[in-house]
Amino acid sequence: MDKRVLSQSGLAVVVAGIATLAVAPGYSANLVMWMAIAVLMAASLRFVLLIGELNFATAAFVGLGAYGAGVSTTILQWPFAVALLLSGVVAAAIGFVFGFVTLKTKGPYFLLIGFAFTEMVRLVYTKVQWLGGNSGMVGIFPPQYLEASYITFVVVLVGVLLIALYAIEQSHLGKCFVAIRDNDQVVQSVGVNVHLTKVACLCIGAFAAGIAGGLSAFVNNVISPGDFGFLLSTFALAYLKVGGEDSPLGPVAGAILLVLLGSVALGLGAGEHVFYGLAIILSVLLLPQGVVGLLSRLRPGRRSQAHVA
Amino acid sequence: MSASATPLLKTQGLTRKYGGLVAVSNLDIEIRPGEILGLIGPNGAGKSTTFNLISGFVRPTSGRLYMDGEDVTGQSPTRISRKGLVRTFQHGSLMRTMTVRDNILVGAVGALRGAARGEREARVQEAAAMLGLEAYLDEVAGNLPHGLQRLVSIAIAFAVRPRVLCLDEPLTGLNQTEANATLDVLRRIRGQFGCAILLVEHNMKAVMQLCERIVVLHHGQMLAAGTPQEIRQNESVVSAYLGTRHEH
Repeated sequence: MDKRVLSQSGLAVVVAGIATLAVAPGYSANLVMWMAIAVLMAASLRFVLLIGELNFATAAFVGLGAYGAGVSTTILQWPFAVALLLSGVVAAAIGFVFGFVTLKTKGPYFLLIGFAFTEMVRLVYTKVQWLGGNSGMVGIFPPQYLEASYITFVVVLVGVLLIALYAIEQSHLGKCFVAIRDNDQVVQSVGVNVHLTKVACLCIGAFAAGIAGGLSAFVNNVISPGDFGFLLSTFALAYLKVGGEDSPLGPVAGAILLVLLGSVALGLGAGEHVFYGLAIILSVLLLPQGVVGLLSRLRPGRRSQAHVA
Repeated sequence: MSASATPLLKTQGLTRKYGGLVAVSNLDIEIRPGEILGLIGPNGAGKSTTFNLISGFVRPTSGRLYMDGEDVTGQSPTRISRKGLVRTFQHGSLMRTMTVRDNILVGAVGALRGAARGEREARVQEAAAMLGLEAYLDEVAGNLPHGLQRLVSIAIAFAVRPRVLCLDEPLTGLNQTEANATLDVLRRIRGQFGCAILLVEHNMKAVMQLCERIVVLHHGQMLAAGTPQEIRQNESVVSAYLGTRHEH
């Protein structure tokens, strides 16, 4: 990864972390944390898009992370750091099995499997009583020493994970991800194990989604199966399409914009979902490269990043 | 290159059927270390299927495939590639949205699994230099002219340092100058690295110039095999594929 990009990204994370100190506790703080979590979720979706697959199981991995954190904290009484790490590890481990079995398929088939997997996992939560069944789990709190600064923790951790995802994208492994999206036959023909490389990509994406789920469990303190249906993946797709999927900044711009506007749209009741649907349609029609693509086109002397190289 | 050398690649009774259609039938060919072998025949003769069979992209209905005497029948393209056989594709043998550097890098990653970053990057530079692509390393491959794209696809395969380089119509769409330059590159690759080359090509002049042996396919079967001179003088081949003009 380019040292200049790394230092600029690191600086941006530090600035964002400091800025959170100015946010008043309560709804505003929660809104910022929801934005950060939405960013990570969309970044996870974008990461799997590097291999050309739209991972609708993202919601399932967010849910697995949230339930991982919930079980670790409320039932097993494990420390916060272990619970949070576990949320990512559980999602990645299940992501490995899921990917290994399903990534032989491509495109709409993989998308449909992801959709079905998400709904299946959601239904499992409702049937398992020790996971709280339909009611879910309550009492998932961050440790006392973090309560006041949890917002800073969330924003900085999400920032660090975004940088890590970008570093992987820029690595030789990341180049192989994009090469698979472009032409998997060529990648296969030079001796790279395409299937395992795709599984690795999905695992990394699932880990990020799992951490997003773990963080959200500690923000909301309550989780229930209904929070992790396929609509969550649709939201992540909306964040990505509005922000722009070509740039790693796309999920950041899209998630911040839509979560902010979504908080306004809450007043619309069921219309909230219409709002996200409209956002996807309008951004695909009017902003094919998303807000970030539009901004980069408007900046004079800057080449549009029309591709992920 | 003695005829008695153990073949790098050998097929024995290789057959592929698609329902009632026999695409390749009972094919016995061998590629010896360091030789340049041409595979010719009209459209539908089974050249591409043969390529797919020996590179593992298609499993044979019957017959065996050996590399260095080891039976590799039914193995995946990845495993066959790791044994030293790398192929290009007739259409789209590169990653269009990636830079030339990253395209070649994918070949280096395939060859140098677990190696240091610098080692792979050195391999990219070496392959780019061999193919004359140094000036285009930071260009997006899909934006390059067709001739350069063909060179990029060879560079990707060359970066693996294969022992058998299988090229599927590498000269298609090239003008004579570009075709000659590509032939020079292939001679250099063989000369410096000693890898065998299996060439499927419609450009008869190029095949006759470059190849030491030629196998002629017809309806999925071997019609003739021999040196370019022998193939030129083979009446059935001449009448079927080369027409009546003998200047080739």
